[in-house]
Amino acid sequence: MTALIFLLVAIAMMSALGGRRGLSIGVFGLSLILSVAWLVHHMTDALPLSF
Amino acid sequence: MVTLVRIGNWLGAMAVAGVLLAAFGLQFAQHELPSPLGMLQRVAFVLCGLGFLLNLRFGSQPAHYGVTVLGALFGLVAAGRQVLLHIVPGDKGYGSPLGGLHLYTWTVGFFAATLLGVAVLLLLSPREVERREGRHALPMGRLSRLAVWLLILVTLANAVATFALCGPVDCPDNPTGYWLLRRL
Repeated sequence: MTALIFLLVAIAMMSALGGRRGLSIGVFGLSLILSVAWLVHHMTDALPLSF
Repeated sequence: MVTLVRIGNWLGAMAVAGVLLAAFGLQFAQHELPSPLGMLQRVAFVLCGLGFLLNLRFGSQPAHYGVTVLGALFGLVAAGRQVLLHIVPGDKGYGSPLGGLHLYTWTVGFFAATLLGVAVLLLLSPREVERREGRHALPMGRLSRLAVWLLILVTLANAVATFALCGPVDCPDNPTGYWLLRRL
């Protein structure tokens, strides 16, 4: 899944290089949503904190 | 002022590429395999790099800085989470320290510096009426092309390395070897 996110960001970069700004920012948005979802998926351990 | 902002964005793009190349160096030379949170921090780096790349390609625009800021905030959350996981006294942390700090602690500093840098670049950015650029791509010089291609190549290399380490779905919390090598 993380490899897919890297691939999406690479596509966004290549879109920008090819002059397709809207596509690049759209793919960025998708990458960010997937990244946040994947981060939440990995945040399973309880933090050893007490306030 | 426009030139100064362009130099700032070029430096940002090169710094992101440099950090990712250094991480590769640690991964392959010292066998420091990244954790899932570490890989998400690398994702945050390339997201920041995309914002700098957009500024180099289309000119300095608020939306492009937004891309970098969102990437840096995501990175701060991922790195901050890893710092908090190992904050208890006696915990040796994940991986080897570099210069007395673990990589995820350095990463927190890098993303904070990125936010500071973006704030400075926004202050220096030309006003809307003075800005020549729009939604059309600008011609890029040799150094800008170097930064853009370096970012693209290092991002693609991360995609390949992450697939080799984790495979198509999930990554173990403490990876000890490459998923792909076990299947060859």
